[in-house]
Amino acid sequence: MITLTNLSKIFRTELIETHALRDINLQVNEGEFAALTGPSGSGKSTLLNILGTLENFDAGDYLLDGISVKGLSDAALSKLRNEKIGFIFQSFNLIKDFSIYDNIELPLRYRGLKASERKQRIEHALELVGLHARRDYLPGQLSGGQQQRVAIARAIAGQPRILLADEPTGNLDSLMARQVMELLEQINQQGCTILMVTHDPDQARRAGRHIQIIDGQLHDSTLYDPLTRQTA
Amino acid sequence: MPLHLLFKSLQRRKVVTALLLIQLAMTFALLLNSILLAQQTRHQLQQPTGLPLQQTLQVQLKPTTNALRQYPALGDLLMRQMAAVRAIPGVEAVAYSNQGPLLQGGNNGNVHDPDREELSKANGVPLYTVSADFFSVLQLPLLAGELPQSEIAVDGSAPSPVVITKSLADKVFDGTPAAGRTVNRGPVAAVVADFYGQRSAGTVNYNSIQVAPLYGVDWGYSLLLRTTPDSTGKVRQALPQVLQQVDSNIEIFYIRTLAEQQQRLYSNEFGLASLLSLLSALMLLVSMISSYSSAYFHTLKHQQEIGIKRALGASKSRIFNELLSENWLTTVLGAMAGVGCALLLNKLLSQVISIPALSWWLPLAACAILLLCVTVATWYPAAIATRVSPATATKTL
Amino acid sequence: MEQLFYYLKVSWFSVKRAPLPYMLTVLILSLGLGVFFSNATFYYRMNSDPLPDKSDKLFFPMMMLVPYQCSDCKPPSVLSYSNVAKLAASDIPSAKAAMYSADGYLRQHATQPPTPVNIRITQRDFFTMFDVPLLHGSVWADDQARDELLLSKASAEKIFGRSDVTGQQLLLDDRLFTVIGVLDEWQMLPKLYDAFGRNYLNAAEDIYLPLESGYDYNYLSNRNSSTFDDADYRKLATDGRTKAIHQLQYWVQLDTPAQQQAYRQFMANLVADEKAAGRHPSAEANQLVMMRDIIRYFGGESGDIKAFAIVTLLFLLVCIFNASHLSLNRYLSNQYEFSLRRALGAKRSQLQLQLLVDMSMMSAFTLGGAAVIAYGSINLMNYLWPSNRLFASWDLQLMLVLAALTLICSYLVTLYPSLRASFGSLNKQLKE
Repeated sequence: MITLTNLSKIFRTELIETHALRDINLQVNEGEFAALTGPSGSGKSTLLNILGTLENFDAGDYLLDGISVKGLSDAALSKLRNEKIGFIFQSFNLIKDFSIYDNIELPLRYRGLKASERKQRIEHALELVGLHARRDYLPGQLSGGQQQRVAIARAIAGQPRILLADEPTGNLDSLMARQVMELLEQINQQGCTILMVTHDPDQARRAGRHIQIIDGQLHDSTLYDPLTRQTA
Repeated sequence: MPLHLLFKSLQRRKVVTALLLIQLAMTFALLLNSILLAQQTRHQLQQPTGLPLQQTLQVQLKPTTNALRQYPALGDLLMRQMAAVRAIPGVEAVAYSNQGPLLQGGNNGNVHDPDREELSKANGVPLYTVSADFFSVLQLPLLAGELPQSEIAVDGSAPSPVVITKSLADKVFDGTPAAGRTVNRGPVAAVVADFYGQRSAGTVNYNSIQVAPLYGVDWGYSLLLRTTPDSTGKVRQALPQVLQQVDSNIEIFYIRTLAEQQQRLYSNEFGLASLLSLLSALMLLVSMISSYSSAYFHTLKHQQEIGIKRALGASKSRIFNELLSENWLTTVLGAMAGVGCALLLNKLLSQVISIPALSWWLPLAACAILLLCVTVATWYPAAIATRVSPATATKTL
Repeated sequence: MEQLFYYLKVSWFSVKRAPLPYMLTVLILSLGLGVFFSNATFYYRMNSDPLPDKSDKLFFPMMMLVPYQCSDCKPPSVLSYSNVAKLAASDIPSAKAAMYSADGYLRQHATQPPTPVNIRITQRDFFTMFDVPLLHGSVWADDQARDELLLSKASAEKIFGRSDVTGQQLLLDDRLFTVIGVLDEWQMLPKLYDAFGRNYLNAAEDIYLPLESGYDYNYLSNRNSSTFDDADYRKLATDGRTKAIHQLQYWVQLDTPAQQQAYRQFMANLVADEKAAGRHPSAEANQLVMMRDIIRYFGGESGDIKAFAIVTLLFLLVCIFNASHLSLNRYLSNQYEFSLRRALGAKRSQLQLQLLVDMSMMSAFTLGGAAVIAYGSINLMNYLWPSNRLFASWDLQLMLVLAALTLICSYLVTLYPSLRASFGSLNKQLKE
């Protein structure tokens, strides 16, 4: 599903070079639920951004579904993001003056789906997150947990292969956080690969796989040998 | 905040600052040139005309029948009109003239000393044919000689005597006494003080006046009348009816005070100066909007930074001053670039209209105006910035 | 179509999110464009060519056939009757007409109050040369003096209440004339056949009289005229025909370069012959000025309009800079949303399509605002410069150009910000 080979990322300013990621090798298989943990500044958000093709990298390679994303055009990357990847952010990132329905519709529009199909998918996603009754509300009228569930609905409406979640429960109280986690597990059980950045050791434990990142280097619970390359 | 840090802050927003600078420079350039032009127009309107502008009314009119436009019926009409006008209460004196003073152009010709034509020739001198009271209506001081008292020359066939203004006399006779000499138009009977004749003539104070009958008025003629200071309005109202009663076969083109006539003479300049001033005002408004929005967005984007500064102990007034001084710096930079733009614009404009060159103090004045506007515009966003709570700093760190 | 509505909806939302900056942007652009439009209207109309097919074939010949000596003078801008007679002897031009204008009073009966009229006193080729449309009747059969006149449609309707009045009789300055023709609506703007001293700004004349009758009845020119010699300008019928009384404009039509060359030669010969005969002392200074150059030749170009053109262009630039400054700020504060859209898989082209819709919406608002401001500003200019009043009208071509200009300006104003927003790095904004 995801294969990173000797991937490095360097941030350069006038004075210093920071190796945000150093020779990362990582294999994530279809259907996995992996938690990514690490201290502040360790590079986990950078890694997640690279996985989501929001950021490019300096060395190594990244294969998504067996295809290298290196050198892909912007249009191809956009298509990739739109069709294969779903994002969930800590701060939800909903558009404030769009209704719940309009927010979920956004990625479907970019894919150019027909109105009837969009409607069906949105309804389905809303059903799943249990917010069907609130479809015409504005984000501001919902609680934090509900907003995050909308964001999840938006992420899964496009039926992505991978869900990238950046501290999805970071802004939520424990009850809501548990609901969101249950929702993610449910989605994972339906076959969607999930990679989640978290600070919470409990959540990390609940995930099937725990990847730690410290100073830009991986410490994986399941070691990966780059020589036995697999194709997903 | 020290200057180099201000510069740094500007540098961080290169494009926005550049846009603002260009715009300030252009505003500055236009402001300067508008002030120049407005000044020039005011100056032109204030130059001495040698005429009692407020109390003199000019009626421009023309008989509508052929017969009335020719001597002798015309002569009779003029006598009747002047008698009727003189009888209006408040009228002190009245005279006819083939044309009024303070015109763009009109009936004019050259005046010279026949003995030394080439050297003494003055071109485009307005030529007036008037009744004897012309000088008393316009209160023109007599400087030399004797004013003619009757419209008909003594022997009826010799050219009527000529009265010329001081500057024309000096030009034609090279500063020697003119009264008693002869110009190509006739014998010089008197020299009177200068007054504003026609703008298109080389020198506006050259005038040549002959006291003589009007033989034909195909281009119309003027009745000039001086009123007592408080009755100008009333006389003006009464005039059309009085003149219609004398003879209804006339068309009155206009009745104006000489002050209004002078305004009209510079109406193009006045129009351009007004439009430029309006445009300058609009440009200042636009600059104010952009200073405002620049400060406003800056505040929005840098809430956290401002919060940190506040948390580190910056006082409200310090934050306020920082924002203001940043905009002041931009304005002064813009004004400096603007001096160059202003010179360029001045050069461009001087190719199509007459505009004086820049003086040294004008840029300073324009800069002060610009600074004032920018300060007013930045005040509100800067005040908002001071309200940013120091707690902002900790929120998202 | 549905997609378009969606884009419009999204644009509208982003307007509603920050209405003040948006309104200011539109206001500033409208101001700049409106002020620019108003002056451009005058500039365009004053510099337009009223006879595009002919303006390079019509010429005004001028010569130093005057009784005074002047070494490097321009020839007089008006000709004397005798000069015209000498020029008219040539058969080279395909058409030729001498003309001047005068004032008169017109009425139907002696008992009526008179109507002041402008008279163009001219010859029969005038009407064909300047493509003057005739509604009723015909022009004079030849260039002889005759008590026949042509009326403009407006004056016919004013005096008779209708336009078909050929054969009717009228009193012009107490002399009886017969109407032989009525012109259709006609305004030559700028009035190039009468260009001296900014007369090109004026409307076409009300009535048309034969040149010979004008001289016979002693109609003095109400434009520039000069009298040299001991001529009496009041005696047009006699002195006017023989002495140096200059008041005539003279236009000839020379269709081919060969004709033009031949006519130049003819003028040169004429001046040489006259000089040899001792009838004038000056050196040759012949001018054959093309109609499209005549305003410039007479130096009557409108300095005020030009000066204001420079300044309004400057103002427009300032407004564009300002508006792009504003819209840059607006987009930067919206950049977070752009990044989000990109994260959700929007292609740059899709975002740019959205921006295109943004831009069209802004253009529409701006065009509306600019039209209102231009209207107001044209009225103001009419008030301050009443002599330019006739040039204040808009035609389709001008309006299309103005609409295109608005689109370009809106595009410029949104271009850089949109590039900044859509090429900005993706990850920065989403984390906050």
